[in-house]
Amino acid sequence: MTDLTTLDLDREVQVDSPLARRRRSTELSLVVMAALITGAAYTITALGTNAEVPPGIGFFVAILLGLLLCAHVVIRLVARGADGTLLPLAALLHGIGFVMITRLDDELAGLQATWSLVAIGSFVATLLIVQRASDLARYSWLFFFGGAFLLLLPLAPGLGANINGARIWVSLGAINFQPGEFAKIALAIFFASYLADRRELIAASTWKVGPLHLPEPRYIAPIILAWGFAVVVMVFQKDLGSSLLFFTLFVVMMWVATERVGYLLLGIVLFGAAAYLSWTQFSHVQTRVDIWLDPWDDPLDRGYQIIQSLYGLADGGLTGTGLGRGNPGQVPEAQNDFIFSAIGEEWGLIGASAVLMAFILIVGAGLRIALRTDRTFEKLLAVGLTTIVGVQGFIIIGGVIKVVPLTGITLPFVSYGGSSLVANYVLLALLIRLSDASARRLGELPDDPTPSERWKAWRLSRRLRRDQRAVGA
Amino acid sequence: MNRQIRQLALGLMACYVVLFAALNYWQVGRKQELDARFDNTRRVLREFNRPRGPIVTADGVVAAISFPTAPGEPYDYRRVYPTGDVLADLTGYYTFAFGSTQVERLYGDVLSGSTTEQQIRGLGDLLSGGSGTTGTVELAVRNDAQEVAKFLLGGRSGSVTVIEPDTGAIRAMYSNPTYDPNTFVNADFDVAQQTITDLQNAEGNPLLAQAYQERYMPGSTFKVITTGIALEAGVQPTEVFPNEREWVPPQTDDPIQNYNGSLCGGDFATVFARSCNIPFAKLATLLGPEAMVTGTEAWGIGEELPIDLPRPAASTFGNTTNLDQELPLLAIRGFGQSEVQMVPLHMAMVAATIANGGQMMKPYAVQATYDQAGRVLDRTTPEAWKTPVSPATAEIERQFMIGVAERGTASCCIGLDGAIPVAAKTGTAQLGDPANPGLSHAWIIAFAPADDPRYAVSVVLTDVQSTADVAVTGGRLAGPIAKGMLDFLLTGAGSQPLVADAPAPEAAPATSTPGAGG
Repeated sequence: MTDLTTLDLDREVQVDSPLARRRRSTELSLVVMAALITGAAYTITALGTNAEVPPGIGFFVAILLGLLLCAHVVIRLVARGADGTLLPLAALLHGIGFVMITRLDDELAGLQATWSLVAIGSFVATLLIVQRASDLARYSWLFFFGGAFLLLLPLAPGLGANINGARIWVSLGAINFQPGEFAKIALAIFFASYLADRRELIAASTWKVGPLHLPEPRYIAPIILAWGFAVVVMVFQKDLGSSLLFFTLFVVMMWVATERVGYLLLGIVLFGAAAYLSWTQFSHVQTRVDIWLDPWDDPLDRGYQIIQSLYGLADGGLTGTGLGRGNPGQVPEAQNDFIFSAIGEEWGLIGASAVLMAFILIVGAGLRIALRTDRTFEKLLAVGLTTIVGVQGFIIIGGVIKVVPLTGITLPFVSYGGSSLVANYVLLALLIRLSDASARRLGELPDDPTPSERWKAWRLSRRLRRDQRAVGA
Repeated sequence: MNRQIRQLALGLMACYVVLFAALNYWQVGRKQELDARFDNTRRVLREFNRPRGPIVTADGVVAAISFPTAPGEPYDYRRVYPTGDVLADLTGYYTFAFGSTQVERLYGDVLSGSTTEQQIRGLGDLLSGGSGTTGTVELAVRNDAQEVAKFLLGGRSGSVTVIEPDTGAIRAMYSNPTYDPNTFVNADFDVAQQTITDLQNAEGNPLLAQAYQERYMPGSTFKVITTGIALEAGVQPTEVFPNEREWVPPQTDDPIQNYNGSLCGGDFATVFARSCNIPFAKLATLLGPEAMVTGTEAWGIGEELPIDLPRPAASTFGNTTNLDQELPLLAIRGFGQSEVQMVPLHMAMVAATIANGGQMMKPYAVQATYDQAGRVLDRTTPEAWKTPVSPATAEIERQFMIGVAERGTASCCIGLDGAIPVAAKTGTAQLGDPANPGLSHAWIIAFAPADDPRYAVSVVLTDVQSTADVAVTGGRLAGPIAKGMLDFLLTGAGSQPLVADAPAPEAAPATSTPGAGG
């Protein structure tokens, strides 16, 4: 953090940085391209379904471009050194998802448009509020309790709602949202901060149990608690996808923080045990596994969704049925968990691979941020946030194409759903903030004070002058 | 920690590579297998939710058209057949669960607009504000002629086929029993299934277009073919056959008789006009099995008819192995009995061959296809199929057939309005069913005007009782139907030239506008 007293307040903020400028112009052109691709896809899909150019296409592209440019300008103002590919990649996925949702259900499209607005708003707000990544570490226990609270919320009687067999929803009047989407970010922040402080202590493993060297219980306890709590809660909520995601997040962060591969192996063993246990204990877990092994065993009921998904993918083939010319509506919940198979059907292997590619690039950019920064907390947070996006994408895409058992979870940026969209844009904003912070520390651009720091510095200097006047008088 | 982060990057990358591999497995590797699975409805569904172009007749009547359905119905379009059962043999039907037939089946790509050419044209039209790519199929068949054929058959089992000798264009092809596709194409699954099952089990196979998908014993109409083979083999048209009541062919003691055991003979033209049996039995025996088999093959017998509709039948000369040991059978087949079976359309083509100077044209039911803007996609070009006889032979046979109409077995019933000369050959095929000894097929094939043929017709009534004079049964029962068809087309209401050969672009019925083109 900048030493406030040495700030040169007369110097203007905008000091030229070719690197930052290049990143921003890359971002601008990519964002415009993502908007144009989305606009073109939107038009072609409408042509494919009704054989007419959508009436509001100009308006649609204008709004889309406006929103993305707004996000871009905010990055220019408060995070101008950040990676220039994250926002365009998210915008592209978001756009593809929106086109697909519009094609599947007009009504949802209206809602999703509103949520998109809120999501970009949250993105901007996050960038403005979190001006120093290190600020997050200060509130780690707040994030811990906040995350726990959010996770428990759906279980509260009168508040929680059971939708499609999972109790992960909270109903507040007309608004339904999934607090779990935000809990995962909160817990990632907590894990990162906690592990950053105590990673050496945990890695030291001074507690001997038989042949095993384990970390001191008092260091490891909170994190085990957080993790166990999350997993157990989600098992009660029958939200297998999120349980798996949290488990992976925890194991990966432990492994990266302690640099000990044993945690990875232990995680796999524990996962195997937990999976086996829940398989024997919970019928809905058994159902998921049975469907995964042979969906054609019960093609009209339990296996219907996955079979229709596979038929859709096969129908799409290499080049797809054409935008708007398939029948993705055959797959129940196509706008949600199964949106990837809808894309595979109409956009073909080529379009679906583009989506996979976008996820790989986001993961790459996120982990690059983790590599570039020299602060443990920021490293771990970048790893955690990237893992959330990457693993979540893998779990649900793998689920709909029968690589892993299907567990209901949204595809980040693509699926329908306000909470998911907003949470993922918040996550994106945090990654961008981390990226900007590391760029400043690497000297790629001057580490200007943030607006709130200037405000504090101005007040400080005013007081200093007043004190000096008092002394002088 | 950076090492772990790099390993994590590799791990996540590997996960997505697995996804990519799996995607390839489903979308490319197992595509065909999944597409073909019985419970995979994607393809059909896609078809059903797309507009589909109309089928129109040569005289501009809409035989099949799609209307958008009200919101909430299972499919976006409803297929309607405004002409009911009149053109069902040609349009066929188009159903969700039970497949499709005839033009609906064979021209499905054109109707739904999925041919490459239509797709490319559709792209160009989008820019100029057009929409959709659905095509129109125009039948060569005329609705008015179909109506007349239906009226003349009057509910009796059988079929009427009219073709143009010089092009092969089918102008009428109506068969009883038939069906009305409207009764099941838009019905609920259960109702549709019941109706189709009932039709499949119904007597006479109403779902088939009997005129080209069934074959029947041709009786004496087959003598046109035997005569053609004989003349081509060098038998003189001046040949005289003795007057006799019966004749014992080789390898048997059972004599062959003329119809009713009558005394019959004379020159070639006379025995042809009177339809004596013994001369043709003798000719077949004289020519021998080999010449008869290759001769009938030259007429296309044994091959599926080259029509532009699905699943045509093939006429047959019967089992030909060891025929040289079965000369009595060969003799009987010479006058169209025993195992000989002809497709009604094929018999119309036989008449047309004589009318067309010995050249047999490929029959076609669809004369043109159009894109959504009414531009021609494809127009059927007449093509020759077989040339079974020389022009000289055809001319001799033409005279023989004129003789049948003027003073022979058809003279009772085929005289056309306006004294237009006509050529014909009748036939009565006795099926020899012990339970129903009189059961026969009554046939006539004809063409007119005999001096400048414009139409060739074949009529078969498949469920009739022979009258006392078997020889004229075919002429008496089927003759008036042929006369009615030819009168309608040559001097009656159907003689007016059709309004336009091709629909003007703006008049092309479009599926998206209900009622257009009706």
